Amino acid sequence: MNMIPTIGMETHVELNTNSKMFCNCPVVETEDPNISLCPTCLGLPGALPVPNLKAIESITMLALSANCSITNNGMFHRKNYFYPDLPKNYQISQFDLPVGVNGSLEIILDEGIETVEIERVHMEEDTGKSKHKGSGRIDSATSTLLDFNRSGVPLVEIVTKPVIKSSKEAVSYIEELRQLVIDLGISEGKLEKGNLRFDANISVAKEGDKELGVKVEIKNMNSLRSLEKAIDFEIKRQTKLIESNEEIIQETRHWDEDKEVTSSMRSKEGSADYRYFSDPDLPNMILTDEFINNIKKEIPTLPSDKRKKLIDTGLSMSESNHLGKSEVWIYDLYLDTQKLTNDCKTTYNLITGELQGQLRKAEIENLPEWVNSERLSEIITMINDNKISFTSGKEVLTNLIQNEINPTDFAESNNLIQENDFDEISKIVKDVFEANKEVVQRIKDGEEKLVGFLVGQIIKSSGGNINPSIAKDLLLKEL
Amino acid sequence: MNLSNSSISEINKLYKNKELKPSEVYEEVFNNAALSESIIHAHLKLFQEEGIAASKLSDARFAKGKQLSQLDGIPIAIKDNINLKNHETTCSSKMLSNYISPYDATVISKLRNSGVVFTGKTNLDEFAMGSSTENSAFGPTKNPWNPQHVPGGSSGGSAAVVSVGSALASLGSDTGGSIRQPASFCGVVGFKPTYGTVSRYGLVAFASSLDQIGPITNSVEDAKIIFNSIKGHDPLDSTSIADTSIEIPDDKTAKVGVIKELMEDGISDESKNEVEKTIKLLEDQGNKVVEVSLPLTKVALSIYYLIAPAECSANLSRFDGVRYGSREFGETSYQMMENTRAQGFGEEVKKRILLGTYALSAGYYDAYYGQALKARSLITKDFENIFKDVDYLISPTTPTPAFKFGEKTENPLEMYMSDLCTIPANLAGLPAISIPTGLSSENMPLSVQLMSPARTDSSLLKFSEKLENLISFDQRTSLLKEMK
Amino acid sequence: MKKDIDIKSVAKLAAINLSEDEEKKLEKDLNIILEHVEALSKMNIDDEEISIHPLGETLNLREDISSEFLTHDEAMSNSPETEDGHFVVPPSLD
Repeated sequence: MNMIPTIGMETHVELNTNSKMFCNCPVVETEDPNISLCPTCLGLPGALPVPNLKAIESITMLALSANCSITNNGMFHRKNYFYPDLPKNYQISQFDLPVGVNGSLEIILDEGIETVEIERVHMEEDTGKSKHKGSGRIDSATSTLLDFNRSGVPLVEIVTKPVIKSSKEAVSYIEELRQLVIDLGISEGKLEKGNLRFDANISVAKEGDKELGVKVEIKNMNSLRSLEKAIDFEIKRQTKLIESNEEIIQETRHWDEDKEVTSSMRSKEGSADYRYFSDPDLPNMILTDEFINNIKKEIPTLPSDKRKKLIDTGLSMSESNHLGKSEVWIYDLYLDTQKLTNDCKTTYNLITGELQGQLRKAEIENLPEWVNSERLSEIITMINDNKISFTSGKEVLTNLIQNEINPTDFAESNNLIQENDFDEISKIVKDVFEANKEVVQRIKDGEEKLVGFLVGQIIKSSGGNINPSIAKDLLLKEL
Repeated sequence: MNLSNSSISEINKLYKNKELKPSEVYEEVFNNAALSESIIHAHLKLFQEEGIAASKLSDARFAKGKQLSQLDGIPIAIKDNINLKNHETTCSSKMLSNYISPYDATVISKLRNSGVVFTGKTNLDEFAMGSSTENSAFGPTKNPWNPQHVPGGSSGGSAAVVSVGSALASLGSDTGGSIRQPASFCGVVGFKPTYGTVSRYGLVAFASSLDQIGPITNSVEDAKIIFNSIKGHDPLDSTSIADTSIEIPDDKTAKVGVIKELMEDGISDESKNEVEKTIKLLEDQGNKVVEVSLPLTKVALSIYYLIAPAECSANLSRFDGVRYGSREFGETSYQMMENTRAQGFGEEVKKRILLGTYALSAGYYDAYYGQALKARSLITKDFENIFKDVDYLISPTTPTPAFKFGEKTENPLEMYMSDLCTIPANLAGLPAISIPTGLSSENMPLSVQLMSPARTDSSLLKFSEKLENLISFDQRTSLLKEMK
Repeated sequence: MKKDIDIKSVAKLAAINLSEDEEKKLEKDLNIILEHVEALSKMNIDDEEISIHPLGETLNLREDISSEFLTHDEAMSNSPETEDGHFVVPPSLD
């Protein structure tokens, strides 16, 4: 019987604003505890929240980029629960009127593009950080140390619908989302710094079942690798339970990185009663169409847009994906060059493979300004016209990087122009044939790998300037 | 001259004419405190050294003609749920008995900049929950008119100090009547501004959508002067409103409405009588007085006693022993929090937190809190409709004059009933003022309440001042003589 | 509508450790109050868009400018227990 896993991802993105979400305290990156605090983010009596405009602009931009509808008349809600790192023992969040709803994000899989439906995008504030003292494990700590520097930092929560079907999809989704927030410039997106955190909701059901299985939440996955492993483990665990007719408890489980298992944390018991109600300290938040349109205008070219453009030039999915994620100058250079050459493959290979590699090797950080699309297109056109081999093209490029040369002139004066004339090449092929009769015989007897040797001989005797593929063809014809 | 019952403008004139010094006035109010505190227990803390120092600085300013404002050198007491930097803000609770505030509330910054001399912090019902100051963890305040009677609440201390002259004026806070009711019980003026006109930043929140800070004073003019000094849009308070004021034209032709439902059962004859007498005065002056109906007053109490506890249940969640305040032992942090809150909160506070938690909980939200919100907006609409026909509203401030200690502590509803007349203004965010009008047969103060549309505070104060002159209740009694 | 309040579970949600006597008294008082508010809960009121602010005001957003407020010492000044600049509490589970 086929078990179908269903996964929903909940992701929190830390915004890179100057100040916190509801107060002017600076967002800081420091080991010194409790140095960026005020009555509001410390939860002192009498303090009040005042929301950050940049944070709202950022979340609106993110929601729009994820094709969400933006809520014009929204509000903030208090999510009530007691925990030492939550200063007010309620978190200011959004409940039924989040900034963005019903969106989608494209993800790249081996099989092609998949669309992940997004349920909601909402604004909230981060909590402080806890450090457990004692033996280092949560359940045998002797005390907990609290640092509230992070309390109040703006967080955007993105929740997908339960539509993800595998761990690979989940990873791809997170990669896509991460790239998006980086491209939008709203977050650093560094997993290791906690700029992006995620939990997974996983259930398994028998194929054909109309209802989804019991949902289990998995927390504490700190990298994409642990995300993939945790999901795979959990799917296996739930599948085993279902197959042996055992009950799956709806709960929150903790991914143990060392043991590589998920373990029970606390019983979700249905779900906690957060007693959401609209925060009376924060009046209705009106996002006008004008505001939304202004944000739309600010959206830079996104990974999915880039990918589309690149695919239109003829590149494959993985090539487009790779180039779309590269630095903007390479992406722009490719497009400009491609317009001139009208070719995608050679242009792609020369720019992404060769150019990047050579710059790195020569330890050149910035592309010299004379290495532009015109000069590059000259090289590429020569290659594609069979005037020079790809290898020779690499040589021209190397020199172009170092000096402001004219590629065509350089190729000519350095004897790189290859012979394409059939008759000329035939002559050379015949000569080499004659001079290597034994080898020819051995090839005819079955030693096919010696063809390469003969091709080498042909090229050598020509001084390196004949078209190797023509040579090979003619040689094979002779054989 | 009985200084402590003089008006701010009178005293300011004397300061400017160098006939009187701020330090002299401070000395007198401090002496009044020394005489009265052991009986009425209105101040939780007296700032003797600080008060002397501040008043001396004020002396110097007046000597140079460099006074900061009309409030310079005026001694004012502050309710102990308003943060004053480097002083305890206890909210009359064991939970915060040792909490020293690291910041000033916005209203305090404004008063400091005006040169006000703070006399100290005054007693209240714990976390502003109550109508008698009997819920203070540090002992009740006694009504200066008769110490066997309550001073009202929750700003009982603030009202008592003005009544007895241990401050020239005070700040209180009003969520369901907590400025107006104690002012009424103590025979002084109490003004609750339009919601949002005075910043709540630094006021320990009870019910965020209902709370407002306001002045308790000897006269309406004093209330006006203090209000003008503390009002204003505050970027630190998202609920504070822009400084737009709406004027009601011409007092003489102002039309006044008497709220029918607040002149029926549940209101004592004496209280109704004060309203009738006041109406007559108004009519004699040429104002038209009509009867109006606000049928939803019957559920106003229920609405309030769902919304206020719900909001307070979340507002008081921060008191957990983690970052400040008292702390009890617990093996885990959750147990520590549970024990801290069990020990730190008094009964009434616990009651309201639990009621609020319940009203918000899964399965009950729609019937209780959700319903209360809907009904509240109906009340707001009703008021808007009534104000199309009348300019001001008049009603009793309280159903009865000040009751005796222990009289209303048996049945939870009885105490809540004392907020009957004051709650509607909080629900609709309207400005409202209590003006003393006379004395009861038991020699306890009586009053009337005036209300007006949102943002018409200055008109309400102007109208009330005229009415106050007509009433000319001389509450400048020698309460202190009796105490000596 | 269920009238009787489950005081134990509400106290758990509110993180208040009530004594048995307190539970009894509070349960009694709260049931009296809830009975009083029954009339309101039974009213038929149309759904309408709720304005959070009593006067219908809407939210003003603040410029993203950072400024410092409390010093470290001020922030820690009322802490019941500190260690290495941290607030200290008994171990929190989860």
